[in-house]
Amino acid sequence: MTRSKFSVVWLLAALVALVVVPASASAKPTITLSGSTSVAPLATLWAQKYVKACKGCVKFKLLQGGSDVGIADVSRGRVTIGMSSRDPKPSDAGGIVFNRVAKDAICLATNKANPLSNLDQNAVQSIFSGSVRSWNQVPGAKQSGTIDLFVRTPASGTQDAFQKIFMGDAKVFSGASQKASNGLVQQSIKRDKAGIGYLSEAFTKGLSVASYKGVPCNLRNAKSGQYGGVRSFYFVTRGKAKGAAAKWIRWVRNNKAALRIAAREWVPFK
Amino acid sequence: MEAASLNEVALQEPSLEVDRTDRRVELLLGALASTILLLIAGMIIFVLVKALPSFTHNGLAWFGAGGSVDEQLMDIFNSPAEPDQYVYHLRAWPLLYATALITGVAVFISVVFSVLAGIFIVEFAPVRLRKVIEPVVKLLAAVPSVIYGLIGILVVVPFVAHHLISEGRKESVAYVIQLDGTSILVGIFILTVMICPIMIAIIVDALRSVPDKWVEGAAALGVNRWRAMRTVSLRAIRPAIVAALVLATARALGEAIMLSMVAGSVGFAPNPLDGLTFFLEPARPLASTIVDNSEGLSVAPFGQTMYAFAAILLVSSAFLSFAGWAARKSFSRYTLGAR
Repeated sequence: MTRSKFSVVWLLAALVALVVVPASASAKPTITLSGSTSVAPLATLWAQKYVKACKGCVKFKLLQGGSDVGIADVSRGRVTIGMSSRDPKPSDAGGIVFNRVAKDAICLATNKANPLSNLDQNAVQSIFSGSVRSWNQVPGAKQSGTIDLFVRTPASGTQDAFQKIFMGDAKVFSGASQKASNGLVQQSIKRDKAGIGYLSEAFTKGLSVASYKGVPCNLRNAKSGQYGGVRSFYFVTRGKAKGAAAKWIRWVRNNKAALRIAAREWVPFK
Repeated sequence: MEAASLNEVALQEPSLEVDRTDRRVELLLGALASTILLLIAGMIIFVLVKALPSFTHNGLAWFGAGGSVDEQLMDIFNSPAEPDQYVYHLRAWPLLYATALITGVAVFISVVFSVLAGIFIVEFAPVRLRKVIEPVVKLLAAVPSVIYGLIGILVVVPFVAHHLISEGRKESVAYVIQLDGTSILVGIFILTVMICPIMIAIIVDALRSVPDKWVEGAAALGVNRWRAMRTVSLRAIRPAIVAALVLATARALGEAIMLSMVAGSVGFAPNPLDGLTFFLEPARPLASTIVDNSEGLSVAPFGQTMYAFAAILLVSSAFLSFAGWAARKSFSRYTLGAR
């Protein structure tokens, strides 16, 4: 009896020690973000750098979701900034401002042995929806036989953007091989002569990149706006950005270090 | 009299002291052990509570088949922001089927192989070979799974794609599923390679602990070595085989990264009616599904669906331990080292 009582006391002591780690309140302004999983990695890098650069002048809290979650959150005032990788829609709530902070190019890539010169939206839709399953039916293809599709997992932001920009209402073939990251898509296409996939421009090394609607997929065309497969990354605010958030957005758009971070994998604002 | 009582005290005191230290250690260890129990209980409750919405919205149909599970996951991920409009519709059968299929086949092959390998190492292998094999087996048992995954995707998958999958075979199922080398065949093969060393290590240790007398007794009755192994040693170590089985199955059930890399990562239920093509079709077990979709965990209904997968894994591993315990208990009368 006493033994078990004692262990209960020990247990309680341990629990109390765990619980009583007080969260110290501070007067620092806090910027809360929620939304797009594809913007979140970039926003995280920016936030870390910014906190370091301004010596902890501000605190960040970041939650991920879909772009729509971010936009809904910010229009209700639950967060300071909603992250969005989609353009504004007429159905969005009034009074919110989309601040573009970066761009991202999504390229269509094939194996080096099977370079495709150009794909139009129709060709992309029929290949990725699975209605065309053979390279023989794709004009300009050097490869023959079955097409191997490499796509991204449902929760991926790249998948989301590909669906919206390239596919429209067409559904991606459900038998396509799903990869969890850009790197895995790149690796799969590299070793598969019959492969085709879509991925962020930063990952196209070693692959043959197809033009989309006649425009080659590269950072320059993405920046100039000629390339169609580009999505913008937005920081959405309720009204015009104010205070610490406004300062941060200005830093993100103009600071050299911030632009360098964006240039790692994305198309920077400037 | 006085001297005698002093003596008594002197005799008793150290033992009292020891007793107190013992008690303190006992309490400390007891507290630690119960903390672990509490953590496990807390974890199970947490996962089940998180998983509940996914189960209650679908009912028993959750476990059934219907539609493309990947499209359903996509719809869940793209749920509207309002909680009352969350999408939960899911038919998880392809994932459950893939988990059971890959784990079951790999564990079955491993048991047969490991028992034979264990007998060879303990009874038949020359001493020199044994001295090399044993450390190598133990080393293999400790290799992280992502390394197996890398070897799989860089070596085994391209090999299968180039040598085992013909263009005709690809075309025959092109409109249903894509054969690109990532397949349950590769998944099962690498999983088998991964869990065999664990089983072999346990079985070798168990075979060693069978008293020599038992085998010698059998030999004295004129039985050859193979038969003595089969009828005496193997029977004696049945609890150890069950233990090895439970451990290996648990590892196979939870294997996520490697299978996500080599088994294709498509929410597809391979069809045995396709003949040999069946083994070349891709699939994705539960654990891999969780890992592959971790990007979207913060979307509430999507996260809850992932928790539902986790709950299935938790419950099945609990069930597994229980079944192992029951099996060992039923063997306990005739075997060695059972409790």
